[in-house]
Amino acid sequence: MTTLILNDPNAFSEILFEKMKQINPGISDLELYEFRYGLNDLVPEKGWGSVKLDDKKEIEMRLNSREFYDGIQIKPKVGNRIVLDETIIRLAQMLFVGLITGKYEQDWVKAHFYFDIRGFYFLHRTLYFTENVLAHFNGQPFKRFEQKQRNFERQQDVGYKEFREANAEVDTLFIESVKKIIAFHGTPILLAIAGPTAAGKTEIVERLRVAFGQAGQEVTSIELDNFLTDRDQREAKGIHSEGKQALHFELFKQSLEDITHGKKISIPRYDTVYATSSHDLDGNLKPGGIPIEIEPADIVFIEGNFPFLLEDVVHLIGIKVVYLTDDQVRLKRKWKRDIDYRKKYDLSYLRNRFFKDQFIMAEIAYCLQMEVCDMVVDTTGAALWVTPEIGEILRKN
Amino acid sequence: MPGTDRLHTPELFSEILFETMKRINVGIEDLELYELRYALENVTPEDGWDSVELDKPDEIEGLIGGRDFYTGIQLKPRIGDRIVLDESIVRLTRMLFAGLVSGEYTEEWVMAHFYFDIRGFYFLPRTVYFTEDVLAHFGGKPYQRFEQKQKRFERFQDVGYRDFKDANAEIDQAFIEIVKKLIGARSTPMLITLAGPTAAGKTEITERLLNAFEQAGRKFTTIEVDNFLLDRDDRDDKPMGKESTHFSLLMRSLEMILQGKNITIPRYDFIYATSSHDRDGNLKAGCIPLEIEPADIIFMEGNFPFHIEELSGLIGIKAVYLTDDPIRLKRKWKRDVDYRKKYDPAYFRNRFFRTQFLRAEDCYQPLMKVCDIVVDTTGAALWATPEIIAILNRD
Repeated sequence: MTTLILNDPNAFSEILFEKMKQINPGISDLELYEFRYGLNDLVPEKGWGSVKLDDKKEIEMRLNSREFYDGIQIKPKVGNRIVLDETIIRLAQMLFVGLITGKYEQDWVKAHFYFDIRGFYFLHRTLYFTENVLAHFNGQPFKRFEQKQRNFERQQDVGYKEFREANAEVDTLFIESVKKIIAFHGTPILLAIAGPTAAGKTEIVERLRVAFGQAGQEVTSIELDNFLTDRDQREAKGIHSEGKQALHFELFKQSLEDITHGKKISIPRYDTVYATSSHDLDGNLKPGGIPIEIEPADIVFIEGNFPFLLEDVVHLIGIKVVYLTDDQVRLKRKWKRDIDYRKKYDLSYLRNRFFKDQFIMAEIAYCLQMEVCDMVVDTTGAALWVTPEIGEILRKN
Repeated sequence: MPGTDRLHTPELFSEILFETMKRINVGIEDLELYELRYALENVTPEDGWDSVELDKPDEIEGLIGGRDFYTGIQLKPRIGDRIVLDESIVRLTRMLFAGLVSGEYTEEWVMAHFYFDIRGFYFLPRTVYFTEDVLAHFGGKPYQRFEQKQKRFERFQDVGYRDFKDANAEIDQAFIEIVKKLIGARSTPMLITLAGPTAAGKTEITERLLNAFEQAGRKFTTIEVDNFLLDRDDRDDKPMGKESTHFSLLMRSLEMILQGKNITIPRYDFIYATSSHDRDGNLKAGCIPLEIEPADIIFMEGNFPFHIEELSGLIGIKAVYLTDDPIRLKRKWKRDVDYRKKYDPAYFRNRFFRTQFLRAEDCYQPLMKVCDIVVDTTGAALWATPEIIAILNRD
């Protein structure tokens, strides 16, 4: 019976269409026509019957190992066209066939993967709230709201306005909480917000700025990237582009100390076009280099992906926040923002890169920072998580 | 100059443009200023908005009304290894943005001559399909009108199959009934042709028509015009028509099948872009033609100028299936870009801009002047000639 289906592409797509409605309810908004158009790119040359299925355990192991993601090519080409990475295609093909033959139960697929309709592929579900993170926050959030992002479940892409509206409650509580913490600690204070791409960092920072401005507080920001050393020097040493070794670290530390003491600072300027710093490796201004002058302020934002993974400065940062949005919602935001509006990426490049970076960035940046931060804003879960110390401050006032 | 400040400050420019564009395309209201700015970045002139020289409105009207403008559009211009929007398309959008903000162009004028596609983030000229000649041909008014349910797509950035089908349910049903009546009133075998621009909805309505024939117990067959195409190398980019097809074979085949005979027609291979037949109409060695059985109803669908004189006389019902250009473009975003991932977005935008005008002029406007029925899905109107209406009113 199943062999028959695997050898009949029309029957295969018809049955798959019904199964996929269970996996992703958004598929119900498609017509079979449309589903087939999407599926076409993934049909194996030798037919669905030619797809070999790995064991579930093997797939689970692979999908949780760094090597798998390191191996994903971002720009593989067929002719002069960028295509989906082979292993990503193979994963989708296996899951489709396994769903049809029953080798993979729907529940198992749903537990480990989500299906993105516009990308028409499966991605692994990355776990952000690990045991360590939960322990750090005493196992439960400070406050939970109605999960309004549930409305996005059937959507193929998500725009700014609806995103902002869905997050209104948790965002407001977050802003109020930050104000209370600042009132408790006093100013000047350094505030760092880390978060994956398209989680909504830019928007929440903008709202915080407005809120501080209305309260008559001076705000400024320091971009971590400006402390990068020349790319040639970093590459010569083979240093990861965001670690301590890649930065004018002493200058960075000194600058943070000075500005928390209300002093004006003069920091290096990194030229992203030429990939060079205004400062040499000893931290001295190069001839002709122009540093950036930063006036003292009450609240100083530290902008960058890894602001509080730098051990020697982490104590200087007054409020450490991770701003999270579920991977599937972030991807839908990127379809709208980066593809529809910005037209920044090739479609296959975006799909490969998101698949790859989702896991790697969670591992090297976000999970680690969640274990040491003061607060996590989980917009999709509509929950604010705070450490016991912060919880005390918030409850007191 | 009152507009100088606005053109000079990018932040102010985009803020004013945002408000203005909400009136040009109501879908812009669903964007945040952020989003508009992201999209605007790609068309922002290097030397700022005040560097854009504005042509006079009548100059622009002259430009977009002439064929040369469209034949000059490049489909795959490149910067580095990236396909980009054609220069003259970019220039047009920049002029309209700058002119709207400075007040040089009125909103009414812009809306009368252009529509703005949000996903493409560019202006396209409005093509007139119902020319005076076409209106005269149909006695000046449609045969039937329905509620324009596609109005709700106004704010959409893309349109999927289901929404489209639901919106057209009434008019599609009415069209099917009319075709059934006409078939009943005339003798068979009968040849029915359905032409229409890309993404107007031809495939879907064809399927529904064929289902209706089947339920009525009618024997029908379909002929894909594309099978009569010459080898791509022999077509030299000529548009679909006499010059680019095995036209005499097409004529002979239609004549024979209308006499109730079996026919053998060429087979076109889309992958190799070659025909089973050579230029003289003879079967190539090793090639296999298509065999088609006779039927009561012979249905031909495609992007073909069925108005060609010799052919026109053989056709029992010539129908044109139309959907407004802004809606077709929204359908293509969903179908060809999101699902099929068939085109580079810049290539896609250049091509739609170019062919919208050229196809209308080469194919649809002349065809509409002589056809029997036009289904206008966006206008939710069925147009029929006085002769057809006379037949429909007979009982």
